[in-house]
Amino acid sequence: MKIKRVTLLSLSMMAAILLGPVFSTYVYAQTDSIPNDSVIDEAPNKPQGGGEKFLLAGEVFTIWQNNHIHGLPSTNSFGADPLGLMLMPLVKLNDRLFLDVQVVVNANPGPGGGASVSLNEAIISYRIVRGLNVFAGNFQPRWGLYEGVLDDFTNRYCSAPIGMGIGAQTESGIGIQGGIQTGYSKLSYQLYIANGPQLLVDSTGMQNGELTYANYTDNNKNKAIGGSLAFLPFSNSSLEVGVSGQYTPETGDAGTPFENIHSTSFAADLNYYHMFSPVMLRVQGQYEYTQTQNFNLYTDATNTTLLFPQFNNQIKGWYGGATLRLSGIQNVFLSDLELGGRLGELVLPQNVMWGGNLMNQTTLCLTYWFTWKTPLNIAYDIYTQAGSPTQTAITVRGMWFF
Amino acid sequence: MKSIISIKTIVVALVIVMASSVIMNGCKAPEEITSKSGTQLWGENCTRCHDAPDPHTFSDDQWDVAIEHMHQKALLTDTEVKKIVTFMKSAN
Repeated sequence: MKIKRVTLLSLSMMAAILLGPVFSTYVYAQTDSIPNDSVIDEAPNKPQGGGEKFLLAGEVFTIWQNNHIHGLPSTNSFGADPLGLMLMPLVKLNDRLFLDVQVVVNANPGPGGGASVSLNEAIISYRIVRGLNVFAGNFQPRWGLYEGVLDDFTNRYCSAPIGMGIGAQTESGIGIQGGIQTGYSKLSYQLYIANGPQLLVDSTGMQNGELTYANYTDNNKNKAIGGSLAFLPFSNSSLEVGVSGQYTPETGDAGTPFENIHSTSFAADLNYYHMFSPVMLRVQGQYEYTQTQNFNLYTDATNTTLLFPQFNNQIKGWYGGATLRLSGIQNVFLSDLELGGRLGELVLPQNVMWGGNLMNQTTLCLTYWFTWKTPLNIAYDIYTQAGSPTQTAITVRGMWFF
Repeated sequence: MKSIISIKTIVVALVIVMASSVIMNGCKAPEEITSKSGTQLWGENCTRCHDAPDPHTFSDDQWDVAIEHMHQKALLTDTEVKKIVTFMKSAN
């Protein structure tokens, strides 16, 4: 295995050395021919402005869903009771300092009504030099393509991919990030230290081995380290290939036998678009897994039916999809329609209460774009799982990003 | 576990290929890249995730803030941000 790894690495290096010069010529050929309109670029007489600047952005959305489990009557539900609201106050304090906050307001459907407000992100970032920004706060790390990037109005498949939500989620920490031009290509990076996930262990055993994020306070003295690296090889930025990772040396509560249980998460993603006039093609995909150290978590379990205390605590998931849009035709209505198809899979641990058999998802979605940030999605999802009846869902989602 | 080890090896290899290609390309941007207009960068970068935004969506000051948000979210380069902001302000 060692020899094979060394061989593979050596071959990769040789490929890079041989292909580098060829690559640098080819990637420029991918540039689309958009006219260089220097007249539009010039704005010599407009004042530059200065001081603090504020923008309240956000989105309002509503989701209606019809769920059908084979053999049972279908059910209808509104996903956002009936409207969901996300507010995003953004403050540019000066040319270097920026504050980015995201809160979600949920209506309380229960007796008495009211609303709950939850904090998604609160990040302060400071540009140190070109290509280097330091940030701190409560943030969604760069984790593949979906979480925090293509999970709002940009999600052309409407429903969330089944295999996502594994690995790094909103965390409290500090890091550095930036985008760098490297010849014809670009690199973007992020590196951070955060509280990391916390391991769930309780006497019922119901959630033993699961990881929870969004922890404002850490449950032990060790921190998680994570990062991402994305490569955009073509000069028109049409292709992005990325890898993300996070390692947490201690996930359990301090002072418990589970304190030193470590966890490793990894993701790889791809995002590509190209105009094959008049059709715009988009291809997106992501693979991710989380491996938490195998450990007997049931030492104090009160449930004596737990016959299999040991399990392989690994979760894997992936999705891949493509969309087509007739962006290049004259008909306005047809040019604003986008058809998408996606496949996905989720592999949960076996022999654990929160685990299960392999789950698959197939999605078809039609989107109508009222504006560049106001989509109406209609999606049809099919969920299958060995040993369970097939489930289908029809989802209609309206979203207005302001 | 076997498949994880081989995936890790593949990832390490990919990172090495990326890094090596970058070194071969060189860090200095060629003239074809530095001469790109704000219009072109707006069309290329914004389309990665969504349609290129209508410049009339926001005012000048609001574009300063909105593009800085995208600077941090999409990890655009500083040069790209500067040119795109200039274009949006001139076209709104």
